[in-house]
Amino acid sequence: MTEPAAAIAVWLGTAPPVRSIRWLDGALRAAAKLGRATAVAAGDQPWLDLAADRAARAGLASVGVPTDLQLDYLGWAQVMASVARKLAATTILVDEASRPERFAEVGALAELVDAAQLTHVVALAPDAGALHASRIAGAALQAVRIHGPAVIGVRIAGPRIEDYPTPTPSAAMRRFDLAALGLDPAVLSHRAQPPRAGHHARRTIDRVADHLAVHMAPRKDR
Amino acid sequence: MAAVLVHIDLDGARPHAASLIALAAGRAVASSWGATLYAAVVAHDPDRSHATGRPPDPVLKLPGDAKVVEAIRAALARGGADKIVVALTEAPILPLWSAVGAAWQAVLDQLRPRLVVFGAEAPSAAELGPRTAARIGARLFLRARARITGGEGIELRDRDGSYLRAQDSGAAVVLVGAAPRLAPHGDEDIDVLVIAVPGGGDPRVELAGTAPAETAHRLGPVIAIGDDAAADPEIAKATRRLARALGAQIVGGPRAAATGVVDSGAVVERHAPLAPELCVAVGAPALDLAGAASLVRVGGGGGSTKHVDCALSGPIATRLDELARALEDR
Repeated sequence: MTEPAAAIAVWLGTAPPVRSIRWLDGALRAAAKLGRATAVAAGDQPWLDLAADRAARAGLASVGVPTDLQLDYLGWAQVMASVARKLAATTILVDEASRPERFAEVGALAELVDAAQLTHVVALAPDAGALHASRIAGAALQAVRIHGPAVIGVRIAGPRIEDYPTPTPSAAMRRFDLAALGLDPAVLSHRAQPPRAGHHARRTIDRVADHLAVHMAPRKDR
Repeated sequence: MAAVLVHIDLDGARPHAASLIALAAGRAVASSWGATLYAAVVAHDPDRSHATGRPPDPVLKLPGDAKVVEAIRAALARGGADKIVVALTEAPILPLWSAVGAAWQAVLDQLRPRLVVFGAEAPSAAELGPRTAARIGARLFLRARARITGGEGIELRDRDGSYLRAQDSGAAVVLVGAAPRLAPHGDEDIDVLVIAVPGGGDPRVELAGTAPAETAHRLGPVIAIGDDAAADPEIAKATRRLARALGAQIVGGPRAAATGVVDSGAVVERHAPLAPELCVAVGAPALDLAGAASLVRVGGGGGSTKHVDCALSGPIATRLDELARALEDR
């Protein structure tokens, strides 16, 4: 059964931000400015508690999908697309700055819900029945108007925050398990992400240069 | 035969340099797999006649100046393409899915590629890459390096450690940041397949204007330099060298800028939030770098490296020079 209309959802992802919750707060504030919005997170309980806490502080309702699955971009996009359908959300914001892997879910979600997409948005405002977005494209800032259903990847910073209180389990967060979303964990596991080795900073010149090489600006004489 | 498809962005009258890196990676993979390498360009067709319901002209000509078209064809042939695909669209060419997505989908539907490659720094990659992967249910690699693994083997390895090899099954989409330099191929006449796609862009997304982006919003690589580091001439010199090698902008606060090392227009306020794809922090910059997709620290007093991808300790100027030299040699 479809839930009462909630036009805007903000997808916070499946794990806490890597370094700072500032960008998560920024995504929530951007969604709050657009109207009645619901924050959505999936993953383990401590992360869902944090997401619910930050959503409540921004004045947003929240939905959590408890799961211990580790999925790739398309697996998580399937989960979020199902939540968006249940919430009847037509505009979906994605916090693409808190974790680098999240931005790929913008296009995947848009494909699954058959919506327009826009990545790398740094400012967003309602504009006479449409949305006005400022998007980064290389060294340029594009001003874009969006009409109708859309998935929008935002990289908007919230206020600077040094520390935040440890969140407690939230009773206000609605929980949807995968079955309630019409998703079968066995099917989703086809998009499972293989476990990665623990993170260790590279510390030698050769290894750091290898890391930097994929970021080098391409040379025109190539 | 399997198809390897490389998306080509144009930079004026030539293929974008990032797309040529993708083409080099695609060439290496296609040779290793025995696949056909297609280079695909989405081009604006000012002649809309083919989209009016009349049957398409069997000898469609490419729109634009003939010399420009020939230069692009020759560049892609030299880059190793076996065939060129041109998808014509009524929409103006913009690095947005809404503008070129329909034409690009027509290419995907026609070729059904096993591997699709974009240049990680190419203008369209962020908008087209992930949606392409979702459309074909592919694995996705966001910033990979093509690496020869011995013999004829080639591996595409992402920065998170995941990789793609010939024996892997299923489709993949890879945004490539680095590839081995290959000897130029001949620029002999190669097949050009033209696909005329009816309709234009997605009217739900409308570009209203473009302006230069502020430094704080840019996604390209940056070097953030601390005030104390900027005041050391040796570090400042080595920072500039690394910035040249990397193609990065040097950013810093007003005190660092006063030393002259910070790039023009790249002075940012204390604790300003930055979210570039890559940030190299030199010394202890008083900026909020938490939004960087990848963070590299050089010097900085040996703070925690818990959320840092790379950390180099020791004399800062020496480390920066060593890094720059290692990159210049690539």
